[in-house]
Formats: sequence, structure tokens, C-alpha cells
Amino acid sequence: MIESVDTILALVLLSVLFSFGTSRLPALIKIIAFQGVAVSIVPLFIGHGLSTGGIVFTLITLLIRGIVIPLCIYLAIKKVAIHREVEPIVGYHASLMVGLILIVAATFVSPKFNLPQSSSNALLLPTAITLLAAGMFLLMARRNAIAMVLGYIVMENGIYLVGTSFSVRAHHIVEFGILLDVLAGVMIMAVILQNIKQAFDDVDTALLRTLKE
Amino acid sequence: MVELVFLVPLLTGVIAFFLPRTSGRPLLVITGFIHLLLSLILWIRRPTALLPSYFAVTPEGLLSLLVISLLFFLISIYTTAYLKEAAIRSENIFTGSMLLFLSTMTMVTLSDHIMVMWIAIEATTLASAPLIYTHRSAASLEATWKYVLICSVGIALALLGSVLIDLSMGVGGVDVPVTFSSLTEVAQRLDPLWLKTGFVFILVGYGTKMGLAPMHTWLPDAHSEAPSPASALLSGVLLNCAYLGIFKTNKIMQAAGLGNFSGNILIVFGLASMLAAATFIIRQTEYKRLLAYSSIENMGIIAFGTGIGGLGAYGAVLCLIHHSLIKSALFLSSGNILLGYGSRLIEGTGNLAKLMPKTFVAFFGGFVGIAGMPPFGIFLGELLIILGAFRSGHYWGVGLFILCICVIFAGFANHVMKIAFGSTGVEIQTKELPNMVWPQLALLFTSVVLFFWMPGTLYQTIVNALM
Repeated sequence: MIESVDTILALVLLSVLFSFGTSRLPALIKIIAFQGVAVSIVPLFIGHGLSTGGIVFTLITLLIRGIVIPLCIYLAIKKVAIHREVEPIVGYHASLMVGLILIVAATFVSPKFNLPQSSSNALLLPTAITLLAAGMFLLMARRNAIAMVLGYIVMENGIYLVGTSFSVRAHHIVEFGILLDVLAGVMIMAVILQNIKQAFDDVDTALLRTLKE
Repeated sequence: MVELVFLVPLLTGVIAFFLPRTSGRPLLVITGFIHLLLSLILWIRRPTALLPSYFAVTPEGLLSLLVISLLFFLISIYTTAYLKEAAIRSENIFTGSMLLFLSTMTMVTLSDHIMVMWIAIEATTLASAPLIYTHRSAASLEATWKYVLICSVGIALALLGSVLIDLSMGVGGVDVPVTFSSLTEVAQRLDPLWLKTGFVFILVGYGTKMGLAPMHTWLPDAHSEAPSPASALLSGVLLNCAYLGIFKTNKIMQAAGLGNFSGNILIVFGLASMLAAATFIIRQTEYKRLLAYSSIENMGIIAFGTGIGGLGAYGAVLCLIHHSLIKSALFLSSGNILLGYGSRLIEGTGNLAKLMPKTFVAFFGGFVGIAGMPPFGIFLGELLIILGAFRSGHYWGVGLFILCICVIFAGFANHVMKIAFGSTGVEIQTKELPNMVWPQLALLFTSVVLFFWMPGTLYQTIVNALM
């Protein structure tokens, strides 16, 4: 069982590297969808002894994180049909390098936290930290509004991983509320994306600079 | 019973989305009135919730709830008149969002479970986003984008903080419900390292929503682009809701004996916000942004006072209540100015005292109040914070605090004088409807009354909240 968790987590780490290296938005969305699926099935393998409610909730998470959220973004960009690439602030090759450094650093610091669960699943904490940092990085290093929303989703995936793995008392109603909030947030962001595209004919956030001081 | 307070506006809010264009207006006032009644009943009876593991009636929650309720009722009366004057395209979305916004904010004040608190605060962001985008302009789009993205990311950090506090229970070997009240009781047994880390994340997360520098960048944009009734709600009560999250976590820290750690961080963030506000207020060109930066200043004052503790913490609560009353009055008045002059720029206004005398009274009264002069309550709050800071020996901090207040007063006064007495050739485009003036005056009057006479039950509730 432990090996399968580590395999999934390794795939999640790979998805981070892929997402840093790709310039094509549809590919990026597919990667994030894959990441959502992978992250949501982690609790099934982690061995907390899942109840029926737990399994149902995991499936709902899978549905929302893996399908509904990426689909929202995908429909948003399909409607606005972006042809031109927006130059990122940090280039794709440099981003890949940053991704590698993030993973190494996360692996290096994780044992220092001394958490009970991390001894059985060595990759769990490094992956969670990498996801958090990777989401932050995407938010800062991309000017493309869609990539920024995806960065937010990556960050949320990281927090979900921390939450499900390290806190035992999961209230499914509460978790479900959090999930709904994230979903509604992404939907609102998708609506704003469409409006930004209509108003500016682009999704470059450098255009959003009229308000200052 | 307790849950009813946020379920009523939730229901009416959803209904308002499907009503024809203008029929949502009376619904706003009616819901505001029912909400005020229910809040008063909660205040008097203090019942327990149907779902005690998620919701509870706490003194600090009640204080915020009553402020929200009173403000919303008065703002809803203003809004009905405002909507007649201002052309807003999809009015049903506006009224629906206002009501949902009220519902989510009420939920924040009543939530006791640490995650439910997070859900409610994130929901306030989502419910208020359509309000900022009401004018459908490029600038309002930009403001909405910044608001949703920055606040969502910030609040995501607060979620991480909440998870870490949960973790501090696991590491400390404590098994109680994850509610603020039970965590405060067992605070001594929580793992201090994870508790500290959790507090920092929660402070940064909810601090983003509260408008603490340097995470405040969304606030001036959102508050200036939203229609004035929505700005009044955003500034008057939404910031309090975010503060409530920090306040309750700070209480856990104090119970755990880590009050010094959390207090010092709050002092630093508070002073940073005041400094940021001072820099931007002096050379501000738009009056609604001026008011927004003043909100950042006041949130800084409140964070500073909470960090000082003791007398300062009491002063901070006073500032919180009075800032809500006065700042919402100012934002509502700024709505009249915007409708009258048709310009957001301070340059585009002038001679308010002659041209719009009633609005002038409300606007100038609000300025006097927000600048911290008697007979308005902020004076008392700031005085107590300064006294508390001297008593606890924070000499450098209080020096900087006083300096910032002086600079902000000078900058603010300069701009207000231009608006009130400067020369202008502008023709006023609207009449001053009574309903667009007396809600502000009622808000200011409440602040004055509370300055001279604090009801015993209110005083007792504040003291209980700080215990």
C-alpha cells in the first residue's frame, strides 16, 4: 500500500515539473486536472481506515478537483479563444530549474518537521510543500491570468494534501464546504477571465495596471 | 434560532436574483429589518446554536453581528434611494449579492468551528465580488480580478494556518472539537511550535482580507470601484469579519501563554499598515481611495491596539465599532458626492458646503470622527491605545503610531478642505434626497451617543470578549 502512495505522489511531483515547463494552456489545464485526480485519491491509500462517508467524499473531491474545476477553466479559455502566447515573467526553462530546486529543497526540509505521519510516507510532506510553493511560483512568475488561476488551484491542492494527510479528525461536511468554496471561487475567476478577455482582448495581466496609488 | 440569522438573508438573497429589476429594493430593507430584530433577540437571549459544534454565540461575535446588522439596515435604506439615482444595469444581481454578502458576514460572526470560520470568510469574498464589478467598466474588472485573486490566495494561506492549528492538537495529543472556544480552553496543551506557525499563516491570510500592509493592495481598488453602498459594507463590516478571525486566534495564543509572540507580530503589521496609509493619503487624488486608505490606517490602529493588549485591546474594540459607524457614513456620503459631481477626483469637486449642504454635514462630521476628534468614539479608542502602549513600555511603537496619526490627519484634512470649501465651476447633477442623508447622520449620531453613554450591557460584552 505504501508503495502505491509514493507512486502517486511521485506523479504529482512530475506534474509540477510539467506545469512549469509547458507554454500551451490546454496542456497546462490537462496537467492540473491530472494533478487534481492524483491528489484526491491519496487518502484512499494512506490507510486511515476509511468509512463509507470517507470514500464517498473522496469520490466527490475527485469529481470536483479532477473534472469540474479544470473543465470550468477549459470552457472559459475555449470561449475566449486565446491565440497569442503571453510572455511569462520567468522563462520556461528557468521555471523548470526552479521546480527542481523546489522539490530538492522541500525534500531536504521535510524531515526537520518531525511529523508522525511522515515516517511512513516519506514523500507526503515534500509533495505538499512543493505544491504550495509551486502554486505561489506560478502566481508570481506568469503574467497570463489563466496560468495565475491554475497556480491558485495548485496551491489549493497542496493545502488539501496537508489537510487530509496530517489531520485525523476530518469532518466531511466541513471539508465539503471548503471544496464548494474553492469551486465557487474558481467559477467566479473563470467568469472574470472571460470578461477580461472581452474588455482587453487579451489575458495579459500587465494590461491590468490602470489602478494604482 | 441562531442559524436563522444568516439563513434569512441567504434565502431572500437567492430570491432577489430571480426577481424583476427594481423589486429587490424593498426586499433589502425588509431583510435588513428582520436581521436587526433577530440580532437584537440574540443579543438579549444569547441562545445556544442547533449545531453547537459549528456555531456559537460569543461576545466578540455578538458585537460584530450587531454592528453589521445596524449598518446593513441603514445602508439598505440609503441603497433604495441610491438605486433610483444611479443607473445600475443588472440591479437584481446587485441586491441579491448584497443580501448574500450579509448572510455570509453573519455566518462569520456566529461560526465557532475554525474551518467553518474559513468557509464563511472565503464566502464573503465570493459574495462581494459581483458587487465590485457592478459598473462593468475596465477599471472595475481589474479591481474585481485583484480582489478575488489576492484575497483567495491570502485566505488559502489562512486555511493552511487553520490546518496547522489542527495539527498542533494532533502533535500535542489533545482531542477536543476544533472550535475556537474549546481550543482556547485547552490552549496550554497544544503544541506551541505548530500553534505559532498556524497563527502566522492565519494572520497573513485573514490580514490580507483585513487590509493589513503589505497585503493591502487590493483594498483601495475594490473600495473605490464598488458602488458606494457596497463600499460602505466592504469597509465598515467586511474588514471587521476578517479581524474577528485574527482576534479569535490571538485569544488562543494568549491562553497558550504565547501572547507576547502574537502581540509583537500584530504591532509590526499594524504599524506597517499605518505607515503605508500615511504615504498614500498625502498624495491621494481620488476621494474614495482616500477613504479606503483611511480604512487601512484604522485596521492598522486596531491591529496595533490588539497587539498591545490590556487597555489597548479595549481601545481597539472601541475603534473597531466606531470605525464601522463613521467610515460607512463617509462612504455613503462619498456616493452622494460622486452622483452630484460626476467625478472621482478630488480636483473635480469643491465647495461642497454650499452646493450640497446636507451631504457636507455628514461628510465633514465623518471626517472629524475618523480623524480621532471628540465627540466621536475613535478619539477614546485611540487615546486608550496610546495609554496602553505607554503603560506596557512600547515607546518606539507608540511614537511611530502618533507620528502616523498626525501625518494622516494633515493629509486627510488638506483633501477634505479642498472638497468642502475649494472653488469649483461644477453644476450639481442631483438633488439631495432625505433618504440619502439621514442614514449617515444616524450612524454618526450613534457614534456620538456611544461616546457619551456606553450602555452597561455593551461594556460588559466588550469586557467578556477580551477575557
